[in-house]
Amino acid sequence: MFSEMFSYSFMIRATIAILLISPLFGMVGTMIVQKRMAYFSDALGHSALTGIAAGVIMGIANTTVSMIIFGICFALLLNYISRKGLSSSDTLISVFASCATALGLAILSRGGSFSNYSAILVGDILSITVAEIIQLVVLFAVILVFWCISINRLTAISIHATLAKSRSISVRVIEDAFAVLIALLVMLSIKWVGILLINALLILPAASSRNISENFREYTYFSMIFSIFSGIVGLFVSYFTDMATGPMIVIIASVIYFATYIYGKDR
Amino acid sequence: MLKNKYLFVLLLLCSITVVCSIGTFFYVKLNNEQVASEDEILVMTSCNPVYIATLNILDGVEGYRVQNLSQPTTGCLHDYTLTTEDMKNLSKADVLVVNGGGMEGYLDDVMEAYPDLKIIDTYEDIEHSNGIFGMDSLLIEEEEEHDHEEHEHEEDDERLHLEGKGDHEVVDEVSDHHHHDHGANSHIWMDDRLFKCQVVSIANGLMEPNPNREETPMSKNFFEYSQKLENDIDKQGLDKTLAGSNVAILHEAFAYTAQSVGANVVATMDLDEERQVSAGEVSEFINEIKEHDVKLVFAEYDYGKSMGDLIEEQTDAKVVYLETLVHGDYDADSYIAVQNSNYAKIKNAL
Repeated sequence: MFSEMFSYSFMIRATIAILLISPLFGMVGTMIVQKRMAYFSDALGHSALTGIAAGVIMGIANTTVSMIIFGICFALLLNYISRKGLSSSDTLISVFASCATALGLAILSRGGSFSNYSAILVGDILSITVAEIIQLVVLFAVILVFWCISINRLTAISIHATLAKSRSISVRVIEDAFAVLIALLVMLSIKWVGILLINALLILPAASSRNISENFREYTYFSMIFSIFSGIVGLFVSYFTDMATGPMIVIIASVIYFATYIYGKDR
Repeated sequence: MLKNKYLFVLLLLCSITVVCSIGTFFYVKLNNEQVASEDEILVMTSCNPVYIATLNILDGVEGYRVQNLSQPTTGCLHDYTLTTEDMKNLSKADVLVVNGGGMEGYLDDVMEAYPDLKIIDTYEDIEHSNGIFGMDSLLIEEEEEHDHEEHEHEEDDERLHLEGKGDHEVVDEVSDHHHHDHGANSHIWMDDRLFKCQVVSIANGLMEPNPNREETPMSKNFFEYSQKLENDIDKQGLDKTLAGSNVAILHEAFAYTAQSVGANVVATMDLDEERQVSAGEVSEFINEIKEHDVKLVFAEYDYGKSMGDLIEEQTDAKVVYLETLVHGDYDADSYIAVQNSNYAKIKNAL
């Protein structure tokens, strides 16, 4: 059964992609949950539509490039305005996310052509190519390096930003760098995961892990295990049942969340 | 407590694995589809119209199996994404028959993933074979952005063709193949004359060069089905009564229906499941209908009913709800039946 599955090159590529993306989601997700940035990553996902629209208007053939550039600018802008403290950050993010989504939809639906882009809403991991897997390998290396260098500083900032600043931690630079990394991760994987589900994959493993973890090490490891497990089992189930891969992964991640929630509550 | 937690995680993950495995096992058992044997040539098709055409050409021909990619219940083909089942089938397929003209958005991915898969692109064949079919001028293009990436290669090719009404013969042709990338209306099967050309294109693609192929079961099927299309499609005189008259359409597929009866399309609003129309577009559409004294509007019921009601309320035009043939019951005669039903509905509305 499994030997037949791996006789297809698309399944080998999809499995490699899942093995690259899911630990990153698990790892980065912990900090997103810790820093209460769930809404931020969701807004970034939705802004992908605007990134594509910008690419279409500027005539960029590879819309991934325009998506990444727009995502990075959007993330930095959100950070900048949040720091100004003019309004509560969830309101600001909501305003920006709604505005970006509406702008993207308006441009892409011009002349009734939104159906050409609607595939990005649910994603399609089965069509990933070798060149795109190489992009994910590079992203994997970059995030791993950043994580090893900055995890202590990020944790300090997430606990108390002012205290971290007093310890000579450049809060602004670290926060901006982290926002750029989230933007890169979201934009490079959104084509495979889909706008509607990407935030679930970022948040669910970390939230499940938080239900049962007692220290940051456990938190990170459990989150990565849950993320990889959901990804692989979701891919395999979708292969045999002919259902979309992204939703299947999210269903499994959700089951893990509810189980850990019940376990964590009763402890 | 620590051990309990790790044990819990281990048990949780094992339980999910077991439940998923059992569930998947029974699902696969219940939905076990017939698989093409090794010595069969698997011909995959991309949508209902080309499936019906291929089914008729390969009817009873030994050693061939025809299978359609998309399920009959899926929405518009433009945004269809391949499922794992499709990918599995494509990896075993020998030939993929597509409508072409941008209808199959996933085609480039398929060509990249399966470079050895033979693809019969009916739209491209018709577009570049006006010498063979004489139907090139009937293709409706929405944008005149011809991106001529010409990678010409000449090949000697024996081809079936249609010459005049119902007159079929085998001729030798030399054809130049060009690749065009433009936004075109690719619902060509809605014009029965172009559908006949699609049948020719598929038959040519499937048949090996063989001087005696007129005697093969496949060529026999081709001639029979072409004759059937010629004789059984009943336009009920619409090509005379509607010739030169103005119509409006709420789905671009019906531009070819209008073309098949000689009517002029003066206003188009392409509605589908994701289309959001602006107030300006609606008023412009209604103005066009009034200005050109349009009496008939062709629409698809699922996506055009509410707009159709609005048009009937605001104008004197009558809205006729037709089938696009994207979905179907996979019956070999369904093309003729649905086209006849469409023409009957138009006739009744007059």
